[in-house]
Amino acid sequence: MALLFVLALTARAEGVAALDVGIVVFEPGIPEDISTHRERGIFPRIRQAESRYLPVNLRRTLQDSGDWGAVRVMPDTGRLAELLIQGRILQSSGRELLLDISAIDATGRVWVQRQYRALTQPADYPVPRGGDAYSELYLEVAADLLAVRRQLDDNALREIRRVALLRYAAELAPDAFSAYFQEDEAGRFRLLRLPADGDPMIARVLRIRNQEYVFIDSVDEQYERLHDEMAQTYALWLQYDSEQSLYRQEYAERAASRDKPGPRGSFAAMQQSYNTYRNYRIQEQDLHELAAGFNNETAPTVVSTSGRVFHLNGTLDSQYAQWQDILRNIFALETGLPVADDERNPFATHTQ
Amino acid sequence: MNCLPRPIALCIAALCAVLLGGCGSQPPKPALARAAVLPDFSGAWEVDYSQSENVREAYDTLIRALQRQAERQSRNMSQGGGTLAVTGAGANSGASIYALARMAEIVTEPQLLDITQTENRLNVKREGSFALDCEFFDGKWRTRESALGTETCGWDGHQVLFYLGLPDGLSIYHRFTLGPEGERIKVATTLRSSQVSWPFTLDRVYRRYDPAASGIRCKQTLSKGRVCTTEQLP
Repeated sequence: MALLFVLALTARAEGVAALDVGIVVFEPGIPEDISTHRERGIFPRIRQAESRYLPVNLRRTLQDSGDWGAVRVMPDTGRLAELLIQGRILQSSGRELLLDISAIDATGRVWVQRQYRALTQPADYPVPRGGDAYSELYLEVAADLLAVRRQLDDNALREIRRVALLRYAAELAPDAFSAYFQEDEAGRFRLLRLPADGDPMIARVLRIRNQEYVFIDSVDEQYERLHDEMAQTYALWLQYDSEQSLYRQEYAERAASRDKPGPRGSFAAMQQSYNTYRNYRIQEQDLHELAAGFNNETAPTVVSTSGRVFHLNGTLDSQYAQWQDILRNIFALETGLPVADDERNPFATHTQ
Repeated sequence: MNCLPRPIALCIAALCAVLLGGCGSQPPKPALARAAVLPDFSGAWEVDYSQSENVREAYDTLIRALQRQAERQSRNMSQGGGTLAVTGAGANSGASIYALARMAEIVTEPQLLDITQTENRLNVKREGSFALDCEFFDGKWRTRESALGTETCGWDGHQVLFYLGLPDGLSIYHRFTLGPEGERIKVATTLRSSQVSWPFTLDRVYRRYDPAASGIRCKQTLSKGRVCTTEQLP
């Protein structure tokens, strides 16, 4: 039976509930008008780093829960995930993290679409090694996702996995697979039928998909490495930012009544205010410099498939695009079918 | 942060005061010009002491200016004397002037500058101090405000001006001018204190240099940021 065939191919030890999750690198939320960055307290380089760092925090939280299958961080929406999570950074500082998170499964069902906010207290710092100041935010996201998943029965979860596979197949060969499902006006996908038992095309699709998994796993490892390399520095950044923020807030309160080292205009008074400002700015600039060093995405990634070695260059998202093109071409060569149009954003939702 | 009405008025009034040599009676002139072709300050620069003022010279200049001011005031008030009293406390006291001079020495301490410049930004990294960073969009002056101080900067014709206002009555101005051959930068640093009626200005001249030739090597690290060393490669 076709159903058994597909199930057999996609079965995992974790059971039907363990959906694979893809977390797209977050949108950094940097306004295009760069003249507003300072006014809004946005440090573009740090935001760029955070857009790759924070998804790994969420990934680890989901992975550690044991409630999900493979959880991967991906450079774009791709076409692999059974459950796709996207996020946008609305506010990120040492005192507050505000994320706009959406999660949508392969059938188009929206699981989560809301903002998550977490605040820190001075006692949260210093962040212990391996910890995160905003861990409760990720736990909240994980709890929301789990609550939705628990509302779905096994049939609904199976349908998500089948639709994910057939949508992936249709990306490679629309003529062969588009008739297996239907998209309604609301953007929901529904299975119409399943491939025949032993369909060789499905076997090829699964092989191609596995190769894409291999690539995306290597991408995921790079995000993991990036995360680990910057974790200590980022924790310091949050701590300094929090301290500076608190200091600035308290400064005005203290200014009127504080004990000055000398009368107004004295060397001691001027030196104190100058040194305070200088240290504050040096600290701020040091963090900018560190943020600049985080971008190691341009390291070439080498991936092999079918005995051939592909050298991919550029940023991870461009490497991923190259890789998807390669896989499409391999599939077309093997099947003799035309290469599908490039629609690499099947699960995308738009966040503002 | 963009210049807000009150702070910008204060900033520009202060900058104008420096540009016009302390013309307190003149209204602020916010429309400082931006040259059609902007000079390029990019590069590595080291202080040229032979062409730079030292603090003592600037101190003497200030004392003479204050003496002249005192004489003018005395004449205006039809009072005799006109000698500057530089002892005791309060405005124009010896302690206040000396404090301003010592601050000027600290502020102008950096010997090396590393300047990067784009269409909308100029960043002056200063050895041992914080970078002067200026973003300019549509020719507007930019202000960065915090409880610790207020920075304003922008183009004035072919010069770049930086202003820093600090809480305890200290204001610092840096005016960057590129020399005609592009091989020298003059940085006129002016300090104003609420306790001294005349600004203290110290001119530093920087000459272009090749950082690699000087033996200084820098690298970016994650844990320490940019680390520079004079050690030779093994």
